[in-house]
Amino acid sequence: MFAVVLLPTFRLQAALRFRAELHARAVAITDGDKGAAVEVSPAASASGVRAGMPGVQALARCPELILLPRALAAERTTQAALIELGGSLSPEVEATADGCVTVDLRGAKITDWPQWCEAVVTHLAGLDLRGKVGVAPNPDLAFLAARRAEPFLVVQAPAIFLAQLAVAEIEPPPHLHALLRDWGIHTLGQLTSLPRGELADRLGPDADRLWQRASGQTTRLLRLVRPVEEFAEAFDFEQEIETVEPLLFLLRRFLDQLTLRLAAAHRVAARLLLTLPLDDDTTHERVFTIPAPTDDAEILFRILHSHLESLQLAAHPTGVRLLIESARPDHQQLRLFESALRDPNRFGETLARLAAIVGAENVGVAEVADTHRPDAFRLVEPRFHQPREAASPAPSRAIGLPLRRYRPPIAAQVRVVRQEPVEVSSAPATGRVTDTLGPYRASGGWWERERWGVEEWDVEIAGHGLYRLRREDQIWVVEGCYDAELC
Amino acid sequence: MPGNDLAALPAQDRAARLTALRGLLAERFPVCELKPSGILPTGLAAFDEAEGGLRRGAVTELVGPVSGGALFVEAMMAVLQRERCFGALVDAAGSFDPQGADAAALARLLWVRCPDPLKAVKVADLLLRDGNLPLILLDFQPVPLREVRRIPASTWHRFQRLIEPTGTAFVILTSQPLVEGAKVRVVLPQRWSLAAMCERRHALLGRLSAQVFARRQFQTAPEGERQTA
Repeated sequence: MFAVVLLPTFRLQAALRFRAELHARAVAITDGDKGAAVEVSPAASASGVRAGMPGVQALARCPELILLPRALAAERTTQAALIELGGSLSPEVEATADGCVTVDLRGAKITDWPQWCEAVVTHLAGLDLRGKVGVAPNPDLAFLAARRAEPFLVVQAPAIFLAQLAVAEIEPPPHLHALLRDWGIHTLGQLTSLPRGELADRLGPDADRLWQRASGQTTRLLRLVRPVEEFAEAFDFEQEIETVEPLLFLLRRFLDQLTLRLAAAHRVAARLLLTLPLDDDTTHERVFTIPAPTDDAEILFRILHSHLESLQLAAHPTGVRLLIESARPDHQQLRLFESALRDPNRFGETLARLAAIVGAENVGVAEVADTHRPDAFRLVEPRFHQPREAASPAPSRAIGLPLRRYRPPIAAQVRVVRQEPVEVSSAPATGRVTDTLGPYRASGGWWERERWGVEEWDVEIAGHGLYRLRREDQIWVVEGCYDAELC
Repeated sequence: MPGNDLAALPAQDRAARLTALRGLLAERFPVCELKPSGILPTGLAAFDEAEGGLRRGAVTELVGPVSGGALFVEAMMAVLQRERCFGALVDAAGSFDPQGADAAALARLLWVRCPDPLKAVKVADLLLRDGNLPLILLDFQPVPLREVRRIPASTWHRFQRLIEPTGTAFVILTSQPLVEGAKVRVVLPQRWSLAAMCERRHALLGRLSAQVFARRQFQTAPEGERQTA
């Protein structure tokens, strides 16, 4: 058997997928160039609006008609979702047309076809799509079945099914259609009651092919496509938005549907890529790594919510795109001695909140740069959820007290005698230097433009404590404090 | 009263009654539920001998000059490595210096640099509510005292309530005793001379002296003693 999954009025469905408030309204999707209606909603159709009608004429017939341009981004993501659904039904999928896929189910052991069809329609409903399913012994027949399905139709006896169909259903060549109509042949049953050989002799090979199709005997090879595992949704607003609520509403709907698709493909979300096109022709992009990949829409939404509630943009968003990079579910065994995070996703969410408070550049795990340049480090995203080598702690090889750094360093006046600091005047400490260690000289970057060289001294300032002084380009600064009652 | 003598009941009924009783008590007196508790050894002899280590589910205040706090952070990084767990340093002054620290230990420490003490309080609050990290250090030592005193006293009590049901060890590092709700106060009074800069750091940690006061002790201590503590 073959099955065809069809999304009637595909462009209209794609455009209204995340706009439930328009489902009952008179809506027409217009072609961007000519402004003619390409697909109309049932309410618009009831008001006399027809596909192909110019926008002005359509509005004359139905003044409350809403004209929407084609939502190309939404059409792409909807078609991808449909092909992906086909891929979950059978490895042999044909992307027959926009909003239509054909799957080869000849190897499938399905006994209850109505139940199978119902499950497909329900899955589509979960994606906010109204679908029809036709099942028949060959692809063309399955397509005819899908067109007449409400919402599914299983053709067990092709001859009986075809007999009642109009000839126009199989799209005959116009000249043949006119001729058959003149002969009083209106249904496929009437057509197949004519002797095939004589019909071919009189009307030629086109008529022979038409007879074959009318009898449901044609078969063809599917042009197979491989479903791309791209879990993406997109939406373009009619006008730029000024508050975060519409974004959050849409993202929640996106995630509800994308996680359904992920679950159907036995995948989980590993990364989220959020893109907001802005009205100044720039885009805001943000990648979220999911600490513990999941298909839980609630967790994924909280991550996006934490980011958006603190987001400040220079321009207004005109749309939203969400792409999920998927991964296989992780079946990692918990380690006996390694204390993993109890809830890595909650921790990820907390990190996002921390970044909102102090800035993303101030949260992370320190990585010291491979240089002797003072205070050279960078903060990287913590990977606490990932297993790591169990290194036993070695005794610290560091010498002396840890430094408390002033960032930025504090300017100082230093009196030097015989190349040693003897007196310091600075905001944190002013006084006579009673003891010194140094100088510790370091330099680098001489092969680059950013050449640097410093001279550091550890000093004890009478009545204050231990400090580190630095001289760079003949300018003295207090770099930090080792020991003092107060910094 | 008949039926109240648990010992007289068959073992199965006894267990069922006890379970029901525990459920009832937990429902009526949620505060009295069993709380995760324990001790996180610090590796600092003076501290561990007195308290056994840091109390989990309790606020510990560490008071002293900046050198003591920095050495304590260093010791805690070694604890994270030894216990193979993760911790956070909420750095209210952004003064932590990762240079010289062990890279493997640094990889276990979330460092949050805060522009002011009030933001540091917010950050600590979020981390405590998160409940994922067993050790959180909130470092106010290099911050001028007048700024730390602006933090409402209720904050410290809120912190204590937040961590009570968790297994988190929470240490607030200050230069003067400030944290009213602290269960334990550790004073590191030691000052160092420049000669310390020539010693190995683990030797300095071994020489670090600590005075440990449990809540009752420092609440009842005379004012003079509290000042020196």
